[in-house]
Formats: sequence, structure tokens, C-alpha cells
Amino acid sequence: MNSASSKPRIHLAQGLSIGYGESLARIDGEGCGILLEGGTHYLLARNGRGKTTLLKTLAGVLKPLGGDFECKGRCQYLSEDLTFDRELPARAILKALLNKAKLDDALELAEAIELDVEKPYGKLSTGNKRKVALLVAEFSVCDEDLDVLLLDEPFTGLDTFSREAFQKRWDQCQDGVLRLVSCHPDFDSMKLTSSVLITDGEIKHISTDAGDQSWGELKPQLN
Amino acid sequence: MIQRKVWIIALVCALLLPCVLPYLTPYETNPTLIEPARAQAAWVCLWVITAAWLFFQAARFGDETSRSGIGAYFLSSGISGLSQMIQIWLACLTFLLPLVGITLGVCFLGAMPSGGSQAQMWVATNLQYAALFLLVVTPLMMVAVSLGSRFGSTVGYLIPLCMSIYGMYGVGYLAMMTEVQSNLLLDWLYVVSPHYHLADLTPRLIFKQGSMLSSEFMQLVVYFAGIKIVLAMFSSLTFQPRAVT
Repeated sequence: MNSASSKPRIHLAQGLSIGYGESLARIDGEGCGILLEGGTHYLLARNGRGKTTLLKTLAGVLKPLGGDFECKGRCQYLSEDLTFDRELPARAILKALLNKAKLDDALELAEAIELDVEKPYGKLSTGNKRKVALLVAEFSVCDEDLDVLLLDEPFTGLDTFSREAFQKRWDQCQDGVLRLVSCHPDFDSMKLTSSVLITDGEIKHISTDAGDQSWGELKPQLN
Repeated sequence: MIQRKVWIIALVCALLLPCVLPYLTPYETNPTLIEPARAQAAWVCLWVITAAWLFFQAARFGDETSRSGIGAYFLSSGISGLSQMIQIWLACLTFLLPLVGITLGVCFLGAMPSGGSQAQMWVATNLQYAALFLLVVTPLMMVAVSLGSRFGSTVGYLIPLCMSIYGMYGVGYLAMMTEVQSNLLLDWLYVVSPHYHLADLTPRLIFKQGSMLSSEFMQLVVYFAGIKIVLAMFSSLTFQPRAVT
């Protein structure tokens, strides 16, 4: 269900059901389902409601229980527990996984967010390990392709400074990349332009074209 | 410092043990036996290192690929499970091939017979041995990778290890049992068992029996290639690039 195209897009059709054996969440109601295009979309739900399951399904790692979806673009799924060889320093990991043209940019951002790229991965703190994974995903996007990044709780363990650095980059980048980011925002004023919510076993999309909606406003809707 | 540097131990074993072990025998009674003993030690070391260390490495790589999430990451970016498994397997070969090279080097430089025709025969036998060894060991490494990814490194390591021990020694006992009592089940088991002992050409080297006839050698190549295809198919079906949740 992943294919390259001129514009990245995720389409969750009506009746899509996800889960392991029994349904965790589905798209109900009438209409043509949920359509996500380039930009940053936040996936919000309480624990155990199916955020990771939805991302794995979109990545093609899990099969949906029913219904259909389309994930157009070059897909990358960054799981919450993604780890690398503990002996390798971050520089070697980035060098192995990124192309040469992007490596310098990645190292520049690594320096800006205070990641020690010479330290073995196994000796990095939880937050710094997340930074390595995020750098791999961010700089693996190809300029000629249009990419879909599925990021599962990328901010876990990350300090506010680094999280803001990534969010600022996402806001500034006009790279057409579609980012679907699952997270638990930790301050009510966090602005969310487009959010996919999983609540009461239902997957919903809330998009605010007129202005940003804050986490504080969306929070009461989650169950 | 030595943590996760087992390859150094493997390398030292492959280089030094064939030189040292023959001198631990009562070689003074017949010094001409030193050279065949060196070749025997080199090949036995290679079998032991492969079974004790490389199978475990292969199983661990498979296990870590699925557990670390990197397998799911590559899968999502379009690298299929089969492609991942082959790449891990090729990575394991980068350990194995130099060890085979060292073993051949020890046999050629440290145990080569002096006569021209004998030397030629010696080279041919060792090359045949290396080819059969690789045909036996490489599919078992693939099995280790795939079982490691699905069931963890312990299962991934033990099954290929048991298969190799069974194929080297267990089949011989089975043959004795089938000779003592006629049993259809045992006969059938003997036929379908992997006869890895056929790839062990160490006695040919020790007793200088010369190389195998090409027809005989090709028969073995076809036999082991058949097993390789079966094990490769099994491995590709078993490999699991993502953790089971």
C-alpha cells in the first residue's frame, strides 16, 4: 500500500479497523474517511488506544483488521523502541544510514541540540538516543521523493529545548514531507494545526484551517 | 575493553592453535606427522569457531534486528524481510570468509607436502574441503539468523548447532542402528537426515588420501546445494523483521 507519487498522502478509508485480533480503533461515521497531506499532523490518544498500532498499520508492518488505507510516498516508521548498535558512536550510525549530502546538515543539528556524536550509542542517555533516531529519520528524507514520516512518541525523554528545535524545523521546512507524530503534549498551550484523535475506539481528524487549536482545548475530547 | 571483541579471540584461535596444538602431542616419535596434524588442527578449529561463535553471532544479529525496531524501520521504508535477512547473512559471511582464508593459509603455508604432485593434490583437497564446508555452514547461518529473529538468540543458536552436530556425528550412530535392526522409520530418518559428515575431509588430509574425484565431488556439491535451497526457503519463511507483539 506504499507507493511513490508526486505528493505524499495518507488516506484512511471509512471502515478501516486496526488492532491485534480484536479491533482497537476504527473509522466510523459517514464521509470519505480521513485525508492527510504534507505537513505535520499530531496523533493523540490516551495510553493503549492504538496510536502505535495505527502507525504500524500505515507503515505496512501490521495488517489492518478490516477496511482499507492508502499511504502514498516513501514511508519511514520510527518506532518508540528503535535502538542502534550500542558500540557505535552516533556519528558512525548517521554516516551509515544517511547519504553524504545530508550528513553535514545532520551533524550540524546534532551539535545544535547538544548531542555528543562521538560517544558510543549505548552510553547515551534516553533523550540523546531519541535524538539519534530522530536525526536518522529527519535526514533520510530525499529531496526528489516525497516522504511520509511516521514518528511514534519521538519526544519521549527529549528535553524541551531539543523538542522545540525539531518542532521549529518542522514548521520552517517547506519540504512537503508528511509527518504523523504520536505524542503526549506536556503543556496546554502547545499549538496543533492538524490532529488525528483516537477516542472511544474511533479515529477522528480535527483540522483547524482558521487558526491553531491548543492541546488544552483538545485534551477533554480524549477518552 | 575485551567486551564484544570476541572476534579477536576467534582470530587468535584460528591463527595460533594450529601451530601450537600439534606440539602438545608426542610428535617426537614421528616428526613427519606434525604437518598433517597442523592441517587437522586448523580445520577442527574452523568447525569449532563456526559452531561456537559464528552461529551465535548470526542468531544474535537476527534477534537484535527484530527487537531493536530497526527491522520494522527498514520494512516500512521498503526493504523487504527477505532482503534484510540476506544482508544480515552476508554480514556474517564477512566474519566467516577470512577465517576460511586463514585455515587455507595455514594448510598451504604450514602443512604443504614437499613433492610436486602431492602438493597439487593437497591444494585440490583443501579447496574441495573449503567449498563443502561453506556449502554446509552458510545455510545453517541463515537458519540461525531467521530463527533468532523469530524466537530469540538462544533458539536461533541452539537449533543450527544441534543440526550440525547431528549431521556430523548423530547420523553415524543412526547408520549403526539401522544396520542392527530393520526399522522403516529409522531408514526413512537416515535418508532425510543431513549428512554433514560427508563434508568433513579431515581424514583425507591426515592420511594423505588425495583429492576427491570430480564426479564424486560434484555429487556432494549437488547434495549440499539441495539442502541449502531447502534451508534457505525455510529461513525466508521464518525470518521476522519486526518483534512479535
